[in-house]
Amino acid sequence: MSLISTSINIPGVIGNVNLVIDQLSAFFVVIISIISFIGVLYSIGYIKPYLNKNNNVFSHYVFLGILIVSMLLVTVVQNALAFLIVWEIMSLSSFFLVIFENEKKDTLGAGINYLITMHISVMFLIAGFVILSLKSGSLDFASFKNVLGNDSALANLVFILLFIGFGIKAGFVPFHSWLPRAHPAAPSHISGLMSGLMIKTGIYGILRTLSFIPVPSLEISYFVLVISIITALFGALYAIAQNDLKKLLAYSSIENIGIIGMGIAIGMLGLAYNNNIVAILGFSGGILHILNHAIFKPLLFFAAGAVYSKTHTKNIRKLGGLIKSMPSTAALFLIGTIAIIGLPPLNGFISEFLIYIALLNGLSIQNSSLLIIFVITIACLALVGAMALLCFTKAFSIVFLGHPRSEKASEVNHDISRIMLIPMAILALLILIIGLFPQYVIQLAIMPVNLFVNSANIMIADSYTQLLSIISLGGFSFILLFAFIYILRTLMLQNKSVYKHNTWGCAYKAINNRMQYAASSFVDLFLSFLAPFFITKSEIETPEGLFPKKARFALYIDDIFEFYIINPVLSLNKRIIESFYWIQGGNTQQYLLYGLIFLIITLVFTIGAR
Amino acid sequence: MIEYILNIAIISVYPFLFIGIINKIKAFWGGREGASVFQPLYDFIKLLKKGEVISSTTSFIFNITPSLNLAAVLFAGLFVPLINQKAIISFEGDFILFAYILALSRFFSIISAMDTGSSFEGMGASREVSFSTLVEPAFFITIASIAALSGVNSFQNLSLILQNTGETGYLIIILSIVVIFMMILVEGCRVPVDDPNTHLELTMVHEVMILDNSGPDLALINYANSLKMILFSSLIANLMIPAGATLLNASICFTGIVLFLAILIGTIESGTARYRMTRLFEFIFLMSSVSLLILALTMIAIYESPVGVIK
Repeated sequence: MSLISTSINIPGVIGNVNLVIDQLSAFFVVIISIISFIGVLYSIGYIKPYLNKNNNVFSHYVFLGILIVSMLLVTVVQNALAFLIVWEIMSLSSFFLVIFENEKKDTLGAGINYLITMHISVMFLIAGFVILSLKSGSLDFASFKNVLGNDSALANLVFILLFIGFGIKAGFVPFHSWLPRAHPAAPSHISGLMSGLMIKTGIYGILRTLSFIPVPSLEISYFVLVISIITALFGALYAIAQNDLKKLLAYSSIENIGIIGMGIAIGMLGLAYNNNIVAILGFSGGILHILNHAIFKPLLFFAAGAVYSKTHTKNIRKLGGLIKSMPSTAALFLIGTIAIIGLPPLNGFISEFLIYIALLNGLSIQNSSLLIIFVITIACLALVGAMALLCFTKAFSIVFLGHPRSEKASEVNHDISRIMLIPMAILALLILIIGLFPQYVIQLAIMPVNLFVNSANIMIADSYTQLLSIISLGGFSFILLFAFIYILRTLMLQNKSVYKHNTWGCAYKAINNRMQYAASSFVDLFLSFLAPFFITKSEIETPEGLFPKKARFALYIDDIFEFYIINPVLSLNKRIIESFYWIQGGNTQQYLLYGLIFLIITLVFTIGAR
Repeated sequence: MIEYILNIAIISVYPFLFIGIINKIKAFWGGREGASVFQPLYDFIKLLKKGEVISSTTSFIFNITPSLNLAAVLFAGLFVPLINQKAIISFEGDFILFAYILALSRFFSIISAMDTGSSFEGMGASREVSFSTLVEPAFFITIASIAALSGVNSFQNLSLILQNTGETGYLIIILSIVVIFMMILVEGCRVPVDDPNTHLELTMVHEVMILDNSGPDLALINYANSLKMILFSSLIANLMIPAGATLLNASICFTGIVLFLAILIGTIESGTARYRMTRLFEFIFLMSSVSLLILALTMIAIYESPVGVIK
């Protein structure tokens, strides 16, 4: 293995810290460096309106710098204690970035929720790393490998602990609830970087943990697969129901984390069943999806930020018709949309295709339960894709198509500045490159697989590189076919009458903008069918009397996991803590008494010790 | 080589005849003479000669969608084996690309309908996307089961199931045909899922999405839609035709099966009413249950059958 490594000696508990860039780190370092650069470029334009206000732009950029450096360090540091420290720096700096607009009450609430969730995550990480370092007697990652080699029960325990810790960061269900709060609260460039990069450090952690385990056991492999499928389905379903554009994107991040997890779990199962093709294809599909999601999700967040900066609303029910006033943003959002649904010929399809191929190859492993689970996984992946299509046709068409649904949307008269468009265009270009030349990009995604699969077997992947060149050829021929038909059709229309007229309203003349299909109505048919999975609260004020004045309808959708799992745990926690409230009564005499008791106990102990 | 030429001929002629025959059958059951079976072709040519009226609300999406739709369906047609089990292109996992390229065409037809800002077209788009979302898993379970059985991860040689599995194979083929036939009804927007001849926009699914399309664009949409039905029909045909058949026999069988499907669809349309919109989910879930049955049978075929384990 070729790797770059150096070490620094920090006197004290930490000791020798190895900084290693191996294949896995290198992959993440590349993504983090490129996407952060594009994000910072975008932020120059996005932050402009805030410059004259009271927000502290200076400290914002300081924390942004710290975040990027700490993300890079997380992927490079190979010492458990140092890792936890940079991990914590990453969480804290992103907390300060989230609460940029801290004069809003919601933002601060979301930030604090994020901060607390991250510390629960650290708790699990500490537990996992403490077990590892106690067993190996060293904090160095390299020594962990020897510990877990022959003790599969310990390996399972450590993996589950670290998976929960890293899974909270990545946003696996049921640890996802911070995502849909923090992402809408943060400024768009931060949501883009957090969703595109920071949650991927959780995935990095999971992959790193896997590299400690020579062969993952069946239990943990199935565990990861089931959690990932639930995550993907749940994320897609809730994304459909959202009417806040950034919240919708946050749920869609959860869905994509689920798809990445599926790829990794299939890779793990491939290892567990000793089938290298399944392992390589599963891991490389999952890892390629990390790269893909790190490209199209920031693009979508940046476009959402562009819409927000022009209309000052994230509520898609108030938008519409923006494709006329913001054509470039609309086109870029459309590219991101097609990519995230996983449609050919763009990049999202490539990673999902690899995962499908891994699953199909897995069908030939002679195991009946695996066959059923893989076929169900194929169906779930297809369902997730179809739900993503529903979700993003809604997002794109309600925001950009039709007529404006409010004054805010109709008042937009020009597109965003070029400084914001160029970073988005670079991301769109990357999407196209990966989608049309997957056979070259796959080399990048196969590189980290070396950590898990014996490198000699990587050669098998070559035949799949050829398969991807067929896909690449297919992409080009599809585009050519489309261009050919389109040109033919345009030529056919050349000398004929083509005129514009109002949309056909079925002979009804007085059509206005409010008669369009709206965000909620578009998904109502589908969601009404899946109503048991939602907790909805609606407020209705019906129009009354002969001359009705005001009518109102509002619909709120609660997260079912938050409602049934997270909130009960929190309230139980609160009740337990409440019973200790009397300790801190606020009474000075009481506190003096504590001091006295403490002194007496110390006295007794010192005398007793003699 | 001759297979490829035949395949291209099928792609360009059969879709029109397919719709023409369905209409003829409907006329027969209705006691009418009916239009010629070539009427869809005449309509196609007529529409190509016309100009267009374009909604002033629309953007470039409305403009490109019909061409993109047809390109997507034609492209999907490259992977489907037509005559003699031979697809024009075949590779591992081609049915995934097939399903996803059809999803791309659906994506554009939905946003194109939303592009007009019409409440009716929004309604159609909402219905189309809701129903098609639930169709996807059924199709994938069926295809994955067939792939597990035949040991081939592509559309090519679907009928290998017959060679590889004993009597269970026949059952699986029959059930797969049921699933794919139901898919024809959903994707092709036929009764009982959708009524192409309905007169009220409120009850339409597919027709209402293309209310604003006219002229050549409408011609392209109609052609793409009927081509999609031919592609699914040929999947059914290839499940039934044994792999070793000669080119002539295979062509005759293929044409016969497609003709039979057209007659069947026409008869169903004459004999049943369309379902209520809310009951369509049941129809689609019937598909999923049948596909799960296929999965169960696959398990039986692989792990219990006297023929033994494949591969």
